Amino acid sequence: MKKELKIKEKSTERTNPLARVFDDFISFCQSKSLFMLHYCTGCGAIELPPAMTSRFDMERLGIQPMVTPRQADILLITGYVSVKTLKRVILTYEQMQSPKYVIGICSCTVNGGMYWQSYATAKKLNEYLPVDVYIAGCMPRPEAVIEGLQRLKNNIKNDRKEQKGSAWKDYFRRYDYYLGNQQHLFGDDWQTPTDIIAEAKLYGLETEETYGKHTDQLLKIQKPLLPQEMKVRMKP
Amino acid sequence: MNYSELLAELFLMPLVAFVVGLLMVLMMRKISARLQRRIGPPFFQPIYDIIKLYGKDTQISHGLIHDIGIVMAVGGYIGAELLLPVPGMDGIADKGGIITLSYFLMIPSLGMALGVGQCANPNGSIGISRALTAMLAYDIPFILIVFGAAWHYESTSLVGMLEYQQTHQWGIVEMPLLAIAGLFALQGMLGKQPFEIYIAPAEIATGPMVEMSGKYMGGLFVMQSFQLYTAGVLYASLFLGGGTTWLELLPKAFFVVAIPMSIAFMFPRYKTEDVVRLMWKWPVMLALISLAFIL
Repeated sequence: MKKELKIKEKSTERTNPLARVFDDFISFCQSKSLFMLHYCTGCGAIELPPAMTSRFDMERLGIQPMVTPRQADILLITGYVSVKTLKRVILTYEQMQSPKYVIGICSCTVNGGMYWQSYATAKKLNEYLPVDVYIAGCMPRPEAVIEGLQRLKNNIKNDRKEQKGSAWKDYFRRYDYYLGNQQHLFGDDWQTPTDIIAEAKLYGLETEETYGKHTDQLLKIQKPLLPQEMKVRMKP
Repeated sequence: MNYSELLAELFLMPLVAFVVGLLMVLMMRKISARLQRRIGPPFFQPIYDIIKLYGKDTQISHGLIHDIGIVMAVGGYIGAELLLPVPGMDGIADKGGIITLSYFLMIPSLGMALGVGQCANPNGSIGISRALTAMLAYDIPFILIVFGAAWHYESTSLVGMLEYQQTHQWGIVEMPLLAIAGLFALQGMLGKQPFEIYIAPAEIATGPMVEMSGKYMGGLFVMQSFQLYTAGVLYASLFLGGGTTWLELLPKAFFVVAIPMSIAFMFPRYKTEDVVRLMWKWPVMLALISLAFIL
């Protein structure tokens, strides 16, 4: 069960009504234009080509595929996530620019699906990343995929009123929880290139639960990222 | 011409170019959608994309040169718009002429190269080296075309070229081979298939754009709309007689921009060295034959 958070963050609610109109306009545009990075891990990937091409055509909804995490808004994970894959998924997620959204497709991302008894598979994706929308099914049809994307679009559009389309903030607010689960799988020396705590400070999304014993562990082992040394080996 | 009028033109010409360019982006995406039997994006999609990209919460900057690179990429095209005479507005076209314009058209690629260089992403470096090689490939026929057109119209000023075409015949009638070579150069300049090896989304993750996020990507989207407008209007002024009114010029420019997209899906992708080989063989040969007729 998710504990109720005591949020001590900077208030982002604007008092100027014109600024609110502006914010609503921005979130309207954000809901109308979504660039999607699909991390095709499993069999669910096969349902994406029909969803994108002539039969169902996602581009009419403003959704188009992008190929790098820097440009993308949605991280679409289509199928079971093995422990090794999860590392890559987390690295990719942390490189994306917020606001960013995660969609888990197929039963495998919801509860492990048919890989429930596998020792090498991460069962619930939302223990490691904040997931906006799950699309269940084995595999979900393109109609279901598009239905899920429409729900995400509505969440983004009504985010100011309903607070449903900003799961990415949760990653900063409760980083200790996510990091703890990640360390449980990958070992105590798990470190990513992105400094999440510094980003949480930048966004003003620090809470009490951003820090904890897992982030202490991270700070203990964290090595600064240095550029690789250039070496030229000459033949004698 | 008084200064207030000139200032108004310096502001209006890039603005008009941007709006028309957005419509051209929409048209290209619609054409590619229709060719694939899709519906395609809604009318305001290019605007939504740009606003969304500028509305991102963070942008990863890799340093000062990365920022300046994007400014150069957009600024080069804004400078080019001021040198491109359109109906009712000449801007500084009579001061600059087509030679200055062709220099301005190289600035965006160089700016991109600077910016991408600082990203230190291997995909970006590969992409930009391919892009600059492709630029070397299509600039040779482009310069030959500019030279031939300037010789034929006996003027290096675009205003003079338009006046010549409005009293005589369109350039495409008088120098058809040069116009065909121009279409080759246009295809390369817009980076459409078969000359899009430097973007190559599936292999090098959009090459030069790989590290561009948020407003950097937004800047590149703005640049793309300027690029389409510049290419369309420049070709229309060189070979299709420009236009005395917007109603005359815009259909020509849109038609010119529609050609590369309509034929793009017929071709597979060329390798970089094959792009250079093809560009230096066929369009250059056509342009040289045409030059022989003109001279």
